[in-house]
Amino acid sequence: MNSGSTAGRGRASGFSDWLGGTAARRQDLAAAFVNAFQAWGYDLVATPLVETLETVAVGVGAPQQAQLFRFVDSDGTLLALVGERTVSVARAVAGQLQGAPFPLRLCYAGPVLRNAPLLGGRRRESLQAGCELIGHGGLTADAECIALAAAALERGGVEGAHVDVGHADFVPGLLESAGLPPETQERVRNALTHRDLVAVEAALQGTEIAEAERRLLLAFPTLRGGREILDTAAAGLGGERPRRALADLATLWDVLEGYGISTRIHLDLGAVRDWDYYTGVIFEVFSAKSGFPLGNGGRYDSLLGRFGFDAPAAGFVLHVDRCLGSVAAAEPAGSGGSVVRITWSPGSHHQAVQCARRMRDAGIAASCDLEPSEAFSAGASVHVDGTRARWGADGASAEGSYEAAVAAILEATR
Amino acid sequence: MSGLRIALPNGALLADACSLLEAAGIASLDPSSFARSLRVMDRGNDYVMLRPTDVPVYVELGACQCGIVGKDILWETERECYELVDLGFGTCRLVLAALEDSPLAAGEWPVSLRIATKYPRTTRRFLQRIGVEAELIKLHGSVELAPATGLADAVCDLTATGQTLRANHLVVVADAGTSTARLIANQAALKTRDTAINELAGALRRAVGSGVVPTGAM
Repeated sequence: MNSGSTAGRGRASGFSDWLGGTAARRQDLAAAFVNAFQAWGYDLVATPLVETLETVAVGVGAPQQAQLFRFVDSDGTLLALVGERTVSVARAVAGQLQGAPFPLRLCYAGPVLRNAPLLGGRRRESLQAGCELIGHGGLTADAECIALAAAALERGGVEGAHVDVGHADFVPGLLESAGLPPETQERVRNALTHRDLVAVEAALQGTEIAEAERRLLLAFPTLRGGREILDTAAAGLGGERPRRALADLATLWDVLEGYGISTRIHLDLGAVRDWDYYTGVIFEVFSAKSGFPLGNGGRYDSLLGRFGFDAPAAGFVLHVDRCLGSVAAAEPAGSGGSVVRITWSPGSHHQAVQCARRMRDAGIAASCDLEPSEAFSAGASVHVDGTRARWGADGASAEGSYEAAVAAILEATR
Repeated sequence: MSGLRIALPNGALLADACSLLEAAGIASLDPSSFARSLRVMDRGNDYVMLRPTDVPVYVELGACQCGIVGKDILWETERECYELVDLGFGTCRLVLAALEDSPLAAGEWPVSLRIATKYPRTTRRFLQRIGVEAELIKLHGSVELAPATGLADAVCDLTATGQTLRANHLVVVADAGTSTARLIANQAALKTRDTAINELAGALRRAVGSGVVPTGAM
């Protein structure tokens, strides 16, 4: 092969090619998710891959903005490739769909990009499919999002997924009602977003904090379970804000029981978020087969208001690429599956093309050779010679009209 | 018992990590357990011995559910893992050090400062915190030679006893942080394998609290 001169012509770091059937599996999975969303009445929308940095900054904090691919438009406007699509949907709704009947149910699927540091094993482009439920502030809307995420994963064949549900206001409320000085609150929140529980402990050391709050803050990884953990957490807790968050989760749990999915739900009071527009119930989807969450979502009541249209909203996103690893072995059929090869004798190209067309009309994938031959390859293939066709698989062969060939191959693939 | 895959760091921390696991009643391992194979099964857990810098990589990407690694490595690798327990051993300090007869040692910060280090990311963050501009030179070893040979004005390096610094006529100008060994966990494993991981963390925490493992020997 040519060496040296092709340096720099490879794939950009942190990006992937999807080859050998994986691209089809990825697209099928995204389609299965969107099908589930549409079956629940969510209308498919598409937002652009590019937003102005000013728009992105409405919903996304400085640390996340630093992880975007940014560039400059010809008129000097700063642009960014989107790192998530909720902000884009919020912008579109606030600007163009204010007259729509609410609650508004929208869904989308598309790539997002993050200019994350180049560390092996982390992808910078990923395919996301998500939903936004806009214009309803009640817990039934939060429950619908969680139940729909679970239903979509099921439709996509993603196995063993469960949802961790928490509340974005619980920890801030707990820190405030514990009477900690603002800088300590900040240190604890910071340590939690960096998943550093050792630093949480260090920040709380020597502070005047009530026993109930200290116990909760130090027990973060163990603050998970069913409805019973809410009572455990509430015991001895004085503050109004954290108690309200716990009451919300109790109500939510009851609603989720109606969907029959509470066996796949964990309440998780120590839930931590990457994007910072969440205001209420938050959730993440996990499976034992993935080291990263398969999806996440939550309530973001203040985001649309920042675009000049005050409306409560909740939503979620599923990470299609991460979900692929948890899908049961794909069936060999489908778009990555078998294709009938059509060969033709000299002078029979017209007839071969006609024969291929009949195959495709009958729902059989067929590819027509580009050069004449007498080859009769193994596997499903048809040879066209004038108005006659020969076909066969695994050594057996038969002869007849194109219709007979189509019928025989249809029969064989059934 | 719990069926976790746990990453252990080779080198300075391995012996203490094994002692702590033993004291916690979790495993009977010592460094010689890994002499023949880098992967050892013990009481239902799967232990793999890795280079310290690779421990957070295995854990972040989910190939291991848990790992034991120095905080200094976590500073530098910037991998997203849960940090569950301060294991208390392997104590060392990251310091900025300069030659004892240099202006920097006397408290005069030069206008243009060159710092040699094996830990450029950590050093960069430390300098930002104290508001100092500097040119960083990334080295892979023997950082202490850099000031004496004129390569750099100062070094930012780990020290446990200060012996290497003294032998090279270096004095500490500023403290950038203290590192100890940590128990880390994969973010999804903490949710999907929570019982096993919380048991492990609890047992290690109790062993640390009882002080059975000598700390800071290096």
